[in-house]
Amino acid sequence: MVAELPSSAGDPRGPRRKRAGRSEARAGVLFALPWMTALVVFTFIPLVLTFVIAQAKFQIAGPPKWIGWGNYEAMWKDSAIWASVRVTATYALVSVPIKLVLALGLAMFLNRATALSGFYRTIFYLPFLMPAVAGSIVFMLLLTPGAGPVNLILGAFGLDPPDWLKDPHVALWTLIMLSLWPLGVETLVFLGGLQNIPKEISEAADLDSPRAWHKLVWITLPMITPVILFNMVIGIISSFQVFTQALVIGGTTGAPAESTLMYMVVLYRAAFRYFNVGYAAAMATVLFVTVLLLTLLIFRTAKSWVYYEGEGR
Amino acid sequence: MAYPTFAKPETLNRRSFLLGTAATAAATMTLPGAAFAQAKGQLLLWLPGGSDLFCKVQTGMLTDWTAKHKELASAETVCGLGQDTAFNQALIGAITGGNPPDMSLLWDAPVSLGTQGAFLALDDMMAKSIINIDTWPGGLLASCQFKGKTYGLPVTAGIYSMWYNAEMFEAKGIKSDRASFPKTWVEMRALSKEFTVWDGDTLKVAGFMPHREAESLAIWSALNGGKLYDSANYKYTFDSEENIEMFNFFVDWMNEEYKGDINLVDRSGSFASGYANGTTGQPAAFRESRLAGLHSGSWLMGDIYDPAPNFTRWDLAPHPVGPSGSATVSGVWPNWFVIPANSLNPQAAFDYLTYLSTEGAVTWFENVPDIPTNSLVKLAPPKILVDHRGEEFAKETTAFYSEQAKIVTPMWDSPVQGFGNDQLKLAIEKIYTKAATPKDALAEAQVASQAELDRVLAG
Amino acid sequence: MTTDLIRRRTAPRHLVSSIIYHCVMLLFAAIFLLPFYWMVISAFKSNIEIFSQPIAWFPDPIRWENVSALFARTDFPFLRQFANSVFYAGAVAFGTCFSCALAAYSFACLRWRGRNLVFAFTICALLIPPIVTFLPTYIGWSRLGLNGTYWPLILPSFFGDAFYIFMLRQFFLSVPRELMDAARLDGASEFRIWWQIVLPQVRVALVIVALFAIVYTWNEFFGPLIYLKTREDFPLSVGLFTFRSQRAVEWSISMMGATFTAVPMVVLFLFTQRFFQQGLATKGLK
Repeated sequence: MVAELPSSAGDPRGPRRKRAGRSEARAGVLFALPWMTALVVFTFIPLVLTFVIAQAKFQIAGPPKWIGWGNYEAMWKDSAIWASVRVTATYALVSVPIKLVLALGLAMFLNRATALSGFYRTIFYLPFLMPAVAGSIVFMLLLTPGAGPVNLILGAFGLDPPDWLKDPHVALWTLIMLSLWPLGVETLVFLGGLQNIPKEISEAADLDSPRAWHKLVWITLPMITPVILFNMVIGIISSFQVFTQALVIGGTTGAPAESTLMYMVVLYRAAFRYFNVGYAAAMATVLFVTVLLLTLLIFRTAKSWVYYEGEGR
Repeated sequence: MAYPTFAKPETLNRRSFLLGTAATAAATMTLPGAAFAQAKGQLLLWLPGGSDLFCKVQTGMLTDWTAKHKELASAETVCGLGQDTAFNQALIGAITGGNPPDMSLLWDAPVSLGTQGAFLALDDMMAKSIINIDTWPGGLLASCQFKGKTYGLPVTAGIYSMWYNAEMFEAKGIKSDRASFPKTWVEMRALSKEFTVWDGDTLKVAGFMPHREAESLAIWSALNGGKLYDSANYKYTFDSEENIEMFNFFVDWMNEEYKGDINLVDRSGSFASGYANGTTGQPAAFRESRLAGLHSGSWLMGDIYDPAPNFTRWDLAPHPVGPSGSATVSGVWPNWFVIPANSLNPQAAFDYLTYLSTEGAVTWFENVPDIPTNSLVKLAPPKILVDHRGEEFAKETTAFYSEQAKIVTPMWDSPVQGFGNDQLKLAIEKIYTKAATPKDALAEAQVASQAELDRVLAG
Repeated sequence: MTTDLIRRRTAPRHLVSSIIYHCVMLLFAAIFLLPFYWMVISAFKSNIEIFSQPIAWFPDPIRWENVSALFARTDFPFLRQFANSVFYAGAVAFGTCFSCALAAYSFACLRWRGRNLVFAFTICALLIPPIVTFLPTYIGWSRLGLNGTYWPLILPSFFGDAFYIFMLRQFFLSVPRELMDAARLDGASEFRIWWQIVLPQVRVALVIVALFAIVYTWNEFFGPLIYLKTREDFPLSVGLFTFRSQRAVEWSISMMGATFTAVPMVVLFLFTQRFFQQGLATKGLK
């Protein structure tokens, strides 16, 4: 993701340029100063402090008690943590691939100039504009047993609708379904990628191999691997942090039967319902390390499957 | 040409940069929510969620009271800071941040936060005031006390009892007076069958429902001679004999009368409470005369006419007693009043608390029917009942609740109330969906809650 | 595109495939629109009608009084919260554009020691889940006594945001360096170069960043929920949530509120579609 920055080495610069370079450097630091302050104040210091708090048993008033790795030990033994890890991992493993495939498929469909293209694009993007709270509420209405249109439609096809929000085997899938709705963002990102494929390459492929399948596997997919990577990383990171929908639907206990108990919900309730701030901080650090490792892993493997234009030049 | 001119605009642009920052900072000064600037002499009260009326009544009382106390410049009531966890979070944030309200109402037991040093212990101030420790029912005070310290007071409370539809009783030729209401669970279960009608997999009408709310489970446990939490010994007792027996009774009842499937019941309507189902929108079965009776708190009195039931004569009765129980008990969901540890005006806050628990509670009850709990209070019946059911019924009901307030079982008394409650909720769900036997589900909740309790007690 | 058109006219096979294509797309579109449609029609039904059977696909009668009912609620000060949302989104968008344009310019167009390192940190910051830094930040704001105000929500945007800096940098990289060098030779200050020469070149990018910031802020839930305390201060996203958690049974008012929350963003989107498109297209670039 980090592109090579234009290097300054080997620039044939005279003394005048050097002087100008120094002032340019000064300006550079100055321009980046607010952001560097933010990095330190809003990101770096809090990050370190979180690791510190995680070592303590925190009281609301009075001094914290240092308990070393105690919070992590407690996490290891906490069945709610394991339940939430199971739920969150299932959610991520299922929703991210489905979302990627659906979004890519939809983007390919959209990558076709017709009179209605603009209309379709608008529609698919609309869900993103809806506040998550409103979205969750509307979904509850849609899935209401008896009076909800989803069950009515399923019933018309002779299907027996499940208890969307009450059945522990189904509730997580309902959440996943909910997550697929704002698919438009990923779709349009893919669409951008598809439209960036140079015309010559795409048309040359049309001549060489008329079969669409070949084109997809050998030309289109490799060309948009950077976009796939981007969507995948963002998708996984955000699926680990699902909160609003899970809280609206499952409450703090992940009802029914802990089947919607997301990691973030456990973290939130530890901090604000059980007043166990140190524990919540420990959970946050674990989340951080997990996301970091996963991202590194993806980028590592990405080298072998992501194609960057202009590489190896 | 380039160099000399370079340096000068550089300083200029730094200045303009600073100017720009200052200008934007000034622009942001016009923010809507001004800080809760708090000064001595200004009394700030926080309220958790609640109806518009509740907010209005509370604001009015504080304003009137402050007007009579010249040493106080002004008072402010902040309503609707969110409910449950969201409210706790706001309050904790304010206390840790050092800008707490002077006093707050709380819908969660003060012990949990009190043991962590969030609230002022009121014992010294209480000893010198008219609302001393003897004026509060012990069962109620248990929710505020930990190791001999009192971290808040239950100024008013919703009191639980049985509610029933007298018209449905009479239609079946069943005596509808209070004295004839079932005295035991076995009798109630037998009576329930008289009403229950299934149409295929849809529950049309039901008698009574086995209990499944975690917050008020302590009452049912006590009715069966048990306990959920033993505050004297700091021990949870979720998986005691009595509690396992209780759930076995409930599950057996479910199987016999409700096809053993809680989901079928829930699909059929809102049978679990006197309110519409918050997630599915199904209207309350009790108000539609599809449920003969239920267990509910006194707050239902204030809410039952919105939306109005399709019958007139509802009535109240004491809880029936379980197979291993000996006497009926009642239970509460109090409105606790707390003073944050770093309140700027603790004495003024306590004076207001004194007013609120005595005179204020009367005004409160007249408008929003939460039952005053201090024994000094002389009650007048709530307006809403007088309007709908007449003076006599209103008086009689008020007297009934005053009696019930005397037999309240200790509840809300654990320092890890929220945690225990969530564990219990999960266990109840497992039991009713048959994911686990009562014994296993309760044992699991017991282990987790006891561990959390021990962790907190370790200090 | 032209070849596409010609092909479609000449081959009947393509006409069939085009019909199938539109059928599939319209079906998808219908699925995506259903929640929106349901929200709007529920807003114009009564609470009982929402749950009545058989399902009414169109409200009958249309209850226009629900609109005035929403504006009359004292426990859901809609107009006030709407104004808060406008203020909040506007301030964040302004702050973000300003601060991120500064930083992005520095990363893309100016050479200084440590630049690549700081930029690498910026990318890392992008990956940190907000919850990780949340607790200390929250305690910090509380200690400053700014809990309960908009400061913790808006002030950070005046210092920059990793995501938008990353996005803007892509645009800044496309500004020809010769332009800046020429200005430098003419003795323009770096601030003037940024303000008068570079910014006009990336105007579109700034609009995109502002639009994204507005939409994200408009729907932002967790931050305002945590930092703001009173109904009068809430933006719409939180107002809607608290209204619902206290008045769970008043579905039609909730839906009316949700509709009115979503509509401004939809309108904004309809007028600025092409910018969104461009923004999303660059999002996925390396």
